Amino acid sequence: MSSTASAPLSASPRRASTGALTRVVRSPLLRFVGRRLLVAIPVLWGVTFLTFVVINHLPGNAAQQLLGVNATPQEVHQLAVKLGVDKPLLSQYGTWLSHLVQGDLGHSLASGQSVTSILGTDLPITFELIAYAFLISLGLAIPIALVAARRPNGIFDRTSMVFSMAGLSIANYILALILVYFFAVKLNWLPALGWVPPNKGLATNIKYLTLPAISVALSLMCFYTRQLRADLVQQLRTEDYVTTARAKGVGEWRVIRHHALRNSAFGLITAVALNLGTLLGVTVIIEQIFGLPGIGHELLSAINSRDLPVVEGAVFVFALIVVLANLLADLLYAALDPRVKYGSTN
Amino acid sequence: MVGSTGESPLSRPRAGRSPAWMSRRRCGASLIAVCACVAVTACGSSSKPATSSAATSSAATSSASGTGTSSASGTGHAGGTLTVLESAGFAGDWPTGLDPATNTNGAADQSQMDAIYAEPFELQPGGKLAPDLATGYKFSNGGKTVTVTFRKGLKFSDGTPLNAQAVAFNWNRDLKSPCTCKPTIMVKAITAADDSTVKVDMLVPDGAFINQLQDSNFSWIASPTALKKMGEQQFKLKPVGAGPFTVVSDTLSNQLVLKKNPTYWDTGKPLLDGLTFKTTAGDETALEAMQSGQAQAYEGMNTPKLVNSFKDKFTITAQPSTSPYDIQLNTAIPPFNNKDARLAIYYATDTALLNQKLFGNIYPDTQSFTAQAGLFYNPTVPGYPGYDLNKAKAMVKQIGGLNVNFFTITQPATQNFMVALQQMWKQAGINASIHFYSLASLIQQFQGKWQAALQTAGAWDPAGGVGVAFRFNSHSPFSGVHDPKLDDLLNQGQGATDPATRKSFYDKAAEYIAQNAYGPFLFPVATWNVAAHGVTGPGLTSAIPSVAVNPQVLWEDVSAS
Amino acid sequence: MAAPTEGLVPGVLEPAVVAPPPGEEGRLGRLRVLGGIWLPALLVAAIFFLCFVWPIIGPVPSPTGGSILNSNDPSFTPGHLFGTDATGNDEWSRLLYGGRASLEVALAVTAVGLIVGGTLGAFAGYVGGWRDGVIMRALDVLIAFPALVLAVAIAERLGPGELHAIWALSFFSVPAFGRLARAATLRVREQNFIAAARLSGTGHVRTLLRHVVPNILPELITFALLGMGIIIVLEGALSFLGLGIPPPAPSWGNMIAQGEGILSAQPKFVLLPSAALFITVVSFNLLGESMRARWTAR
Repeated sequence: MSSTASAPLSASPRRASTGALTRVVRSPLLRFVGRRLLVAIPVLWGVTFLTFVVINHLPGNAAQQLLGVNATPQEVHQLAVKLGVDKPLLSQYGTWLSHLVQGDLGHSLASGQSVTSILGTDLPITFELIAYAFLISLGLAIPIALVAARRPNGIFDRTSMVFSMAGLSIANYILALILVYFFAVKLNWLPALGWVPPNKGLATNIKYLTLPAISVALSLMCFYTRQLRADLVQQLRTEDYVTTARAKGVGEWRVIRHHALRNSAFGLITAVALNLGTLLGVTVIIEQIFGLPGIGHELLSAINSRDLPVVEGAVFVFALIVVLANLLADLLYAALDPRVKYGSTN
Repeated sequence: MVGSTGESPLSRPRAGRSPAWMSRRRCGASLIAVCACVAVTACGSSSKPATSSAATSSAATSSASGTGTSSASGTGHAGGTLTVLESAGFAGDWPTGLDPATNTNGAADQSQMDAIYAEPFELQPGGKLAPDLATGYKFSNGGKTVTVTFRKGLKFSDGTPLNAQAVAFNWNRDLKSPCTCKPTIMVKAITAADDSTVKVDMLVPDGAFINQLQDSNFSWIASPTALKKMGEQQFKLKPVGAGPFTVVSDTLSNQLVLKKNPTYWDTGKPLLDGLTFKTTAGDETALEAMQSGQAQAYEGMNTPKLVNSFKDKFTITAQPSTSPYDIQLNTAIPPFNNKDARLAIYYATDTALLNQKLFGNIYPDTQSFTAQAGLFYNPTVPGYPGYDLNKAKAMVKQIGGLNVNFFTITQPATQNFMVALQQMWKQAGINASIHFYSLASLIQQFQGKWQAALQTAGAWDPAGGVGVAFRFNSHSPFSGVHDPKLDDLLNQGQGATDPATRKSFYDKAAEYIAQNAYGPFLFPVATWNVAAHGVTGPGLTSAIPSVAVNPQVLWEDVSAS
Repeated sequence: MAAPTEGLVPGVLEPAVVAPPPGEEGRLGRLRVLGGIWLPALLVAAIFFLCFVWPIIGPVPSPTGGSILNSNDPSFTPGHLFGTDATGNDEWSRLLYGGRASLEVALAVTAVGLIVGGTLGAFAGYVGGWRDGVIMRALDVLIAFPALVLAVAIAERLGPGELHAIWALSFFSVPAFGRLARAATLRVREQNFIAAARLSGTGHVRTLLRHVVPNILPELITFALLGMGIIIVLEGALSFLGLGIPPPAPSWGNMIAQGEGILSAQPKFVLLPSAALFITVVSFNLLGESMRARWTAR
């Protein structure tokens, strides 16, 4: 899943239209995707195996946790057998793997619920948070970058660059504290805690997710703003098609919106895809702070109670998402740069 | 007799809103929870019967029925819903569900469990037990047998009868359960003598049985029919009991939504139409959530500094504490197999200063495992080695220096405490390295060569919960003391059915501990309950002694306006 | 198109700051560019001085070992500029020593990433083939592995601590530098002077060391500077979760975590380390940005 070579900054050819899309649907693509997916399997295997090893080396095990130190060795052994944690490491891993292939992720050692159902309940919450964060960040970044790029080094541009630099430098957990203090406690506009499922009212659901989403979104927004703005400005400065368009009398705004933006879109989407993987880690703290019952929160408590099936299940899903997101990013990037052959950089 | 928590404090943020890992706010609570987490034979695994001073043949039967509950803060109005916050890492965690047979966090989740199941007897403001589901009890057979009489005509919320058979079924089921939470009362047999009387035959006299119910999963009776119909897996997520509220929805360790049980035996109660428990990261987050109007109550606040900031905004009620902090010393191995080293710790610990600076002198210093709100309170213990820096220095010099590995559970509240103790001991020449562990790792510590730990000891009834035996009985894996004489005193204290006799044994035990310098006691855990203006309820805005750390709240009497 | 991110939290790989438009060059332009580097460099230097040098030479009390007799002294008490914390330790001192701890972690993690990750990546990019594949897969595993699990595992097994925090965070930095180094190496590999060197008989190792490394180093160093800010924030997150540097030793992260619990009562215990964190991260970001502008505007 390595990313392909990054193209030198100014040498990538540009098109004024979306011809890139047609290249993408040719067959080398399918071979490329196929190969990447094949390669992803050892990565997933490596991650899950590593997790197994790591968790099993932690002090205490699930059977002991549930029964407590005062239990007799027989009782611990009995429960361990029942839970399957008495077998050697490799055998346990093998069993888990064989169940995985059949779609069975096992059951939580603490609550007995099936891991699939736990993930099924928790993942959507985390996803909604991430989606909301992306929406906010892109929704603000694009207009700001557009206006900034319209007049480079102008007042708006410079101000927005200063603020985005500041926004990038704030830790999201600190931001969360500040947001709650002002918007929940002082102004009472938004709730400080909790989660309301969408079926209880979409508006309420979104209201409860707003502060958490902003905490995640701010640094993302600043990053995308800077990236997009630089990219746009560069195009406006250097690309031939821009000069042509201007010579033809096309308005500056139109040039930016219809041409430059489209070309920059791929880069932006690539960045989004790559961020997806790391965001899953970021959301853990946010979920804790705001009491959202998402996957990060679940992973954390499962590690503590040495609830191996839940940890493995969550790690597997995380890794899968990271792998797929990276694949998507690679695809998009390769589609953009015709000089990167699908097979040339392994 | 103890519930237990399988949840590590590590799992929640520590700082008020922080996650995970550590939100474990309840310093004392978690310490108790640690104890709770490990099934401990508080009555000791010795089957030596109590000696002659034990029980007379029966204690008086407790008062007959009647409503049995009283709102200490006056009558509230019916109606409305209340959202109450609980702290993650303690009461806000119920990772194994809410079935009394398998809830490892029962001791911490008392509020949730009481709301769903009610209890045989309820602890009232003022510290007396009153009948709730049960009407009375009687000891016999030298304290080895107790019969508990239940109210007639009780029904679970699914309509099936709550009779003696259901109770016996539950209690036997609890004892067979492979769970840390299984009660450790030494039972020979539990049977239903008739439809409303349960007979418990024990192997040793246990005069504390009824009190121990308070901190035991026995207190919660599940509907056998519902258990069978739903299966254990489903039941633990959506339990059925006979309490004032029934379960609407349950998101483990996050949110529990309850609504009024129309068939609750006490007509007119509960006052609330709905009750929701929500988990929060800690004191600061909870208070912020209350300020933003998201919740109207918070149980178990333990950050003294915040009390001042919020005392005008909310009703903050100090809860009578029953568990003092103590420093456990492992007398089995060096350095604390040497009494002089132990004495050095006693002399070097300025309890009064710690109390004043860290906790604002909310409760008086203690010298034993009892506290004001508990039974058998003993404020001063003759021969207790108090703070004396010079003696401490001399002692340390005498033994040629003292290095200590000192640990406790990871908690924001314990941090300052441990640091302060480290600084204090330094002055006497004691070098302590301090460590904080999550629950799982903490248990491991006790299995190894540990030296000293900051914990809490004691409960409302010293024989119950994280009582004394947990910390001082030779058979407890968490004890640093292995002294048959002390075991004997504690067993007798538990076995007797006459309160005066029990007190005399516990007094002797405290004196014995002090004489042998087994471990200093400091001052009780300080907690508060917070309620928005207009919310009232016994235990919430009035004081009910804590059984372990969290005081009980009588939810059926709580009103939102 | 701008260089893609390498899968890190935003803020790490940023596109080049655009050079000033024609006409604005000349003295004003040069000043701006110079100001762009020197100001943040000065800030960073000042921060390092305060955290590493000043506590040794200046009148800064120890951050631990206070006495609860002077707990919670307010700001501007004589001898305690920012007051004391609950156990009587000087807050200003805790800020400085906390910064030192946080910066030590950041430097160590960055160094490990640069050396280990950079070497692996450069090697993989240079050599290509199956070796490249294997190294990249291994790095992918590290990237896909939830850092949280690892951080918790290390903290629980070995106890929280500065060294262990460094290990945990290095799992992040090694693959990040690895991928960057590899991508940069791939680019450099295609250059003519590399071919020339090989043709004239220079061995692989020499080529790598004398030609490849110096050419990828600027990019790596820029990345390192931008990464410092990220790592400091991550260390803060670890400590916030209780997995980083344990008390009584201060770090900005654990100070924020502790202060958060009494935010309503005494906000300064959160505000001070947060401000310190913010200023430091901004300085590193500015420095990294301006260096990038320098290197790419050549």
